[in-house]
Amino acid sequence: MTAVTDTPDPDAQPANGKPAPDAHPVDDTPGPDAHPVDDAPDPDAHPVNGLDDVVHQRVRLGILTIAHEARQVEFGYLRTQLELTAGNLSKHLGVLEAAGLVEVEKGYAGRRPRTWITLTAPGRTALAQEIERLKLLITRVETTPAEK
Amino acid sequence: MTTESVPTGDPRRLLSDVRTLAHRVRLDQRLTWVALLVLAAVTFAGIPVDWFGMRVHCRPDGSCEFARRGVLYYWPAALLIAYATIAFFYVRAARARGLGARVLPYAITGAVTTVVFTAAWVAAALYFPRHPLPDQPLPYWGVVLDRLLAPWAMIGVALLVLARLERNVALLLFAAGYLALVLLVPPMNVAWGPPGWNLRAGFALPQIVNGVVLLLGAAGFALARRRHR
Repeated sequence: MTAVTDTPDPDAQPANGKPAPDAHPVDDTPGPDAHPVDDAPDPDAHPVNGLDDVVHQRVRLGILTIAHEARQVEFGYLRTQLELTAGNLSKHLGVLEAAGLVEVEKGYAGRRPRTWITLTAPGRTALAQEIERLKLLITRVETTPAEK
Repeated sequence: MTTESVPTGDPRRLLSDVRTLAHRVRLDQRLTWVALLVLAAVTFAGIPVDWFGMRVHCRPDGSCEFARRGVLYYWPAALLIAYATIAFFYVRAARARGLGARVLPYAITGAVTTVVFTAAWVAAALYFPRHPLPDQPLPYWGVVLDRLLAPWAMIGVALLVLARLERNVALLLFAAGYLALVLLVPPMNVAWGPPGWNLRAGFALPQIVNGVVLLLGAAGFALARRRHR
């Protein structure tokens, strides 16, 4: 396993050069052990409390989703699907890798360098929990009566 | 929790994005038309093998005994090669697009159904020469079970598994229709065809129909994929 070494793009813009409507600066990178994989969400706690910053961010949630469906995904595919620059994608991958949610592997297809991203077991769990919490959040919002 | 992610991340939109991305990946991984084309080719190639490999012994009273040795020798190897070929093309196409492929369960199902069919046919080949044939024709469920244990129905079962893996509703409907065609549509006597047809032609006709249906399915899925792109 190797780290992604593409130069991070400080402006973190999508590949088309326009800022994404909700393009966020990347969070501080947590250490390798900083990402706790929680138990199943507590049904009594408000779902927002359980949301994980690392996973909840839109781009990173997209990376985890694609990696989950594909089993293994190439850097270029992620960049195209998520409409990100290489630098921005690298930064998000760095966050996920540091949290132990994905593994990044560099190799070659012929002479062309390829970077493959694989979801780890904690990554699968974190994605499942995030989706569960999002559903809970939607249910909570829909069932809570509006205050007068 | 940071302030940047949660307030702007509308949960409905995030879930919608997740579903859209997952669906897009599944579409990019699919190579349904190749699977159907390979299975159609294997079906057509099996027709002459069945024709020339069938042992038929007709008595003066008009009754005939037959043994479809060609099916027994051809199909186990043909199915295993077909599933390996399909798995190879799936993995190659997915990797060319920058994706992994979830085809191993399909290949395993193909191998298991091949073993089941082979075991059933070997058991029948060992049993019937030493035991008298039943006087009464097989009951309806017996005929359906007999057809289910034939390679053409096993193809349909494996296609159902592929549809589940790909979460491909169109393939699920196609596989269900194909299985209904293989299991239920032919008349419940020995073989298809008008009276007077020879036994070999009677067995060849349903195989031609199965092959044509698989080929049409391959063409349909290829066309749909082309339109999608």
